[in-house]
Amino acid sequence: MKTFKGRGFLFSFLVLIFVAWASPAHVAEKSPYKVGANLEFTGPWAEVTKTMKNAMVLEAERINKMGGIDGHPLELIFEDNGFDLNRAAANMTKFTKDKEIIAVVGPFEDNLQGTTRAIAEREKITNIIICPSNPMVRALKQKWAFNIAQSDIIVSQKLVDLSLARKYKKVLVFPAAIPLAKSLAEYYKQFGEAKGMKVIISKETHKPADIDTTPQLIKLKPIIEKEKVDAFYACTAGPPGPIVCRNLRTLGVKTPILGTHAFGFGFIIALGGEAMEGVEFGAGKPVVPDQLDENDPARPVILDFDKRMRERYGVGIDQIAGHAHDAISLIEDALKRCQGKVTRATFRDALENTKGFKNCHGIYNYSPTDHDGLSKKDMVFIRIEGGKFKRIRFPGFE
Amino acid sequence: MDLWTYIPQLLASGITIGAIYALVALGFVTISRASQIINFAQGEFVMLGGIITFFLLKVVNLSYPFAALIAIVIVILIGFMMHVSVIYPLRKASVLILLMATLGASIFLSSTSGLIFGTLPKALPPFSSGSPLSIGGISVLPQSVWILLSTFVLLILLYLLSHRTLLGKAMEASSTDPLGADLLGISRNLMVFLAFGVSAGVGAVAGILITPIFFTSYSSGTILGLKGFIAAVLGGWGKNSGAILGGFVLGVAEALSLVFVPSGYKDAVAFVILLLILYFRPKGILGSPFIDSRRW
Repeated sequence: MKTFKGRGFLFSFLVLIFVAWASPAHVAEKSPYKVGANLEFTGPWAEVTKTMKNAMVLEAERINKMGGIDGHPLELIFEDNGFDLNRAAANMTKFTKDKEIIAVVGPFEDNLQGTTRAIAEREKITNIIICPSNPMVRALKQKWAFNIAQSDIIVSQKLVDLSLARKYKKVLVFPAAIPLAKSLAEYYKQFGEAKGMKVIISKETHKPADIDTTPQLIKLKPIIEKEKVDAFYACTAGPPGPIVCRNLRTLGVKTPILGTHAFGFGFIIALGGEAMEGVEFGAGKPVVPDQLDENDPARPVILDFDKRMRERYGVGIDQIAGHAHDAISLIEDALKRCQGKVTRATFRDALENTKGFKNCHGIYNYSPTDHDGLSKKDMVFIRIEGGKFKRIRFPGFE
Repeated sequence: MDLWTYIPQLLASGITIGAIYALVALGFVTISRASQIINFAQGEFVMLGGIITFFLLKVVNLSYPFAALIAIVIVILIGFMMHVSVIYPLRKASVLILLMATLGASIFLSSTSGLIFGTLPKALPPFSSGSPLSIGGISVLPQSVWILLSTFVLLILLYLLSHRTLLGKAMEASSTDPLGADLLGISRNLMVFLAFGVSAGVGAVAGILITPIFFTSYSSGTILGLKGFIAAVLGGWGKNSGAILGGFVLGVAEALSLVFVPSGYKDAVAFVILLLILYFRPKGILGSPFIDSRRW
């Protein structure tokens, strides 16, 4: 019995040694550059953040296989914040205490980001975030926070373009009661009315956890009929998107539906089914990797990454995987351009100087006044047809 | 003027969701009648019913009726297992401790479901396809008709079970007079065990019925369970008829409240109703056998 235990121990010890030897961190001798990832691995976004993690790991492996950044390997440290504000803040503080960590990616949820950005500002560490949109946070002009997703401003501009191309004169907006949706609705109204459209923002809202929006829509139906609106803008994210579309079609409303960039995920079509047919929105290019122009700067990056994702995980690229890829390759690019020794400060300056960097979601340009990176040109118009995303084009609007 | 035109449509939507609240409330009442336990994992049975059917239909590729049937059986087994592993070992503990234990079981079931089946919401196809029916200006989904019909059939079956079979009568007896049931040789532990199976089965049916209309995710059991609990209290805690009435009243009240208050407060309406009921008529609409009305 005793020898058996001893053998088991020896065996596991050997396995440990083998794992340690075979891990990619062993390849380069220089000290690694560490990047923290503070994401919602448990909770409602668990599946989405898993895609992010997969994509980030894939990118880090590519970099390390090619010898790292000037010989330094890139090391990712993942922490689960459990969709919880306190844990997100605790993770962020923990990352800032580790002096080797030069930047933190995440979190994903809007209200968690507000907190980590504030910590980043205080502790002077770069915080790269996905899907931020809180206009109140933007007004703070934070020095250490960088956004890699399409901002609410360009999403709204793109959707106004789509509305103009479709000649919609009057649009009813049904926003979710979250900062992202509210600022999307406000910007859509602002840009739309500048172009001569009439935009009505409904007083009725819905919550991200609502399973039924029929009662709200019943109240909006008379407005749709009386005002004769040309389109209905479901200004929301996540599961309420298909819920709103389904409820609206159930009530017999045939008005065209506009959506946000958050509609560009496969699970949205799976949930909404037939009700999603004909929904149009502007979204990032990874939604339609196979329908991009030959001369599109993002096309080679997307196709290459799509192929690697399929080989490794069996699923293609989506917007979230694209964001994860972009975050890591932007970090790689900035690290290469760091002036002198790589510190948190030099890294931040290098990232802020990113100019014309081609990535999955388009061309990134950061400047001291613009921490949003992307522009309207980096989005495409999408229409859901036959249960698939189809790119649509309008002369003059792209 | 606009106000009154959409009331019929709100009523239709309220009755649909009311049927579901009624089924969840019925699950609560079945267990509490047999054992006086409030089973806070009731909402989880609903969630599991929907999600396991989705899994069997989409991943295992069974036919729809077969998948639904197997899912119901699996959830009933989970109900039995919950009794064996959580309730039975604690049968000598106070009701408060049992209540805590069911809360724990509820968190366990929802997290496990999230781990196994994923956290994104799931949608089942409707039972019969087709566009919404338009009845006098009100549009109704065919699935809503299915929900009402199935609820009705299920209620009749439960009525027959408790009034026309020896087993049902034994369950009834052990809840109305525990001492008398003991003297007659009815095993009360067995009756509680069976009650868990029945309420898990009712929950699973509710889950399968609503998943085509309202998406089910690993966490949606909590709010459904709470609403069902409110419905059971509203109708009269411990009465089957009360649970059914309470479910429909709550569903309709929630939908109609939208006429008067902004939609942001929709969920609060149910809890305000619960508070008002507890202040002014704690035994519920039809009265409760468990709450001594003389104290009020």
